[in-house]
Amino acid sequence: MQSRLNTTRKEMSQGMMALLFSAPAVLIIAATILVPFGIAVFLSLHNWNLKRPGRERFIGLENYSDWLTDSDFWEPLRTTFTFAILAVILIVVVSLLISLLLNEKFPGRGVLRALLLVPWAIPSVVNALLWKWLLNPQYGLINAIFYDIGIITEYQNVLGSMPSVMIWLVIAYSWIHIPLATLLLLSGLQTIPGDIYESAIVDGAGVRQRFLFITLPMLRPMLSIVIIFEMIFALKVFDIIFVLTAGGPADATNVLGWTIYTETFRKLDFGAGSSIAMLLGAITLALAILFYVFLDKGVEQ
Amino acid sequence: MKARARIRLIVIYVSAAIVLLGTVGPFLWLVSSSFQYERQLLNRPPQWLPNPIVLDSYREIFEGAVLGEASGVPYQSRIFLRSFANSFFVAGSVAAIAVLVGAYAAYPLARLNFRGRNLLLFGILASRLIPALSLAIPIVLVAKQIGMSDKIISLVFINLSFILPYVIWLLQSYFKSIPMELEDAGRIDGCSRLQVVHKIILPLSLPGLTSAGILAFLLTWGEFLFALLLSETPASYTSTVVVSLFATDVDVSFVSIITAGVVSVIPPIAFALIFQRFIISGLLSGSLKG
Repeated sequence: MQSRLNTTRKEMSQGMMALLFSAPAVLIIAATILVPFGIAVFLSLHNWNLKRPGRERFIGLENYSDWLTDSDFWEPLRTTFTFAILAVILIVVVSLLISLLLNEKFPGRGVLRALLLVPWAIPSVVNALLWKWLLNPQYGLINAIFYDIGIITEYQNVLGSMPSVMIWLVIAYSWIHIPLATLLLLSGLQTIPGDIYESAIVDGAGVRQRFLFITLPMLRPMLSIVIIFEMIFALKVFDIIFVLTAGGPADATNVLGWTIYTETFRKLDFGAGSSIAMLLGAITLALAILFYVFLDKGVEQ
Repeated sequence: MKARARIRLIVIYVSAAIVLLGTVGPFLWLVSSSFQYERQLLNRPPQWLPNPIVLDSYREIFEGAVLGEASGVPYQSRIFLRSFANSFFVAGSVAAIAVLVGAYAAYPLARLNFRGRNLLLFGILASRLIPALSLAIPIVLVAKQIGMSDKIISLVFINLSFILPYVIWLLQSYFKSIPMELEDAGRIDGCSRLQVVHKIILPLSLPGLTSAGILAFLLTWGEFLFALLLSETPASYTSTVVVSLFATDVDVSFVSIITAGVVSVIPPIAFALIFQRFIISGLLSGSLKG
């Protein structure tokens, strides 16, 4: 809504003003996002290894074709998607349940909602440290609890073998991501008008019917947002891998984020690292576009 | 009917108790562990509550920072307090600058009519779609080349650009919610655009500016990738980097590692709980942590 106010004072045009006002922000973003992005594209088209200085040369798409024909790309890609899909399922299911609870009116609801911010505020690195301690093979609390209630007969090194390492990695990762998803779904639930439920009750709809035929369809736009955003985040997982598993054991948790890191900053192959990072970026972007399509559909309905 | 209401309440509180346990339980165990002796941590079964409350590991951090090597505490403990201060500096600077620069960029997006407005907004938001990992490589390379590696000022700059799109989005939607009549009234009274921003928009947007600032602080505080890649010495380590040095070192005692973890989340958790209203409203205006 623009003001129809006519000003007679001498004043610069709105376009000029917009340019001036947004210039500092645009310059900062351009300098640290657009310029590096250009350089990353440049590097990805070159043979560029810091261990072999002086041999930098343009090789076109060779880095890309190397990756695409290499199981060192496809294996981490599969691991990345396995991780991301499991994490998204866990996050969405748990946060949907919590948001349904928080949508009920009961004393203490506000406190519970506020406490959700505790895991949310914990940095991913500290979260990794926390779970490393909880899952410690000799002294971990989770081992102790499982032992006490008889699920296990001796302490386990869950981070040392498949598939337990993937399961616990997903749980640890999801723990700090559930709160935000919950708050978003809760805000979605609160936009559903109460009288729809009332008339459904009058028509004799039970709890399950109300959930399946009112709540879920009405929540769909927000649910799509949460699913696709969480998917995009999970695909670029790195921090927790760095502390908790370092890609191990035996590459079981070697996701693309970890491959990019080791390729670039341990093997110092900047060309190979940049090109695989571009591939991950392209996959993320493709999913982001999917997200817009989904979102539009959701809004139309 | 009454019995039904009672059952509903029982179901609610049982579920609420489970959620509560899952939400704060793991972190409370970390806190409880940090107040125990190392040998108590090695107990089977584990000791749920510290008895007595042991502050040795907390003292280590302070002694290490003051006495240096003479304190005899692990290397990570000696550099921890400094990294904590670095985190405050970086997160605080990013929050202040992001809100200041972001507010001016958000105003035209919310209120001015100019060609390319949608393109500008889209461009700013789309910049966040590029994964940080792919930008990290050139950024580290360039920073080393121009001598900006291992400086916390570089961390401020980098974090700023990742936070800004987010702050701009939040503020422009906040500005849009301010009634146009207030702005028109100011214009009729002879205010210039800049005066309108300074005297009407910004004062009325204090809640929005606060949530943007707090979110910027919290997101920057937890940032790890660039903090790791752009630092070489303790002079520029942030607390997340030192926490990772702790957590990946098998020679440091559990209690020191755990205490570092607890101390490094005191600021974000305290902020989150104190300003929970601002944070929840900020988060829900269409934005996410990441």
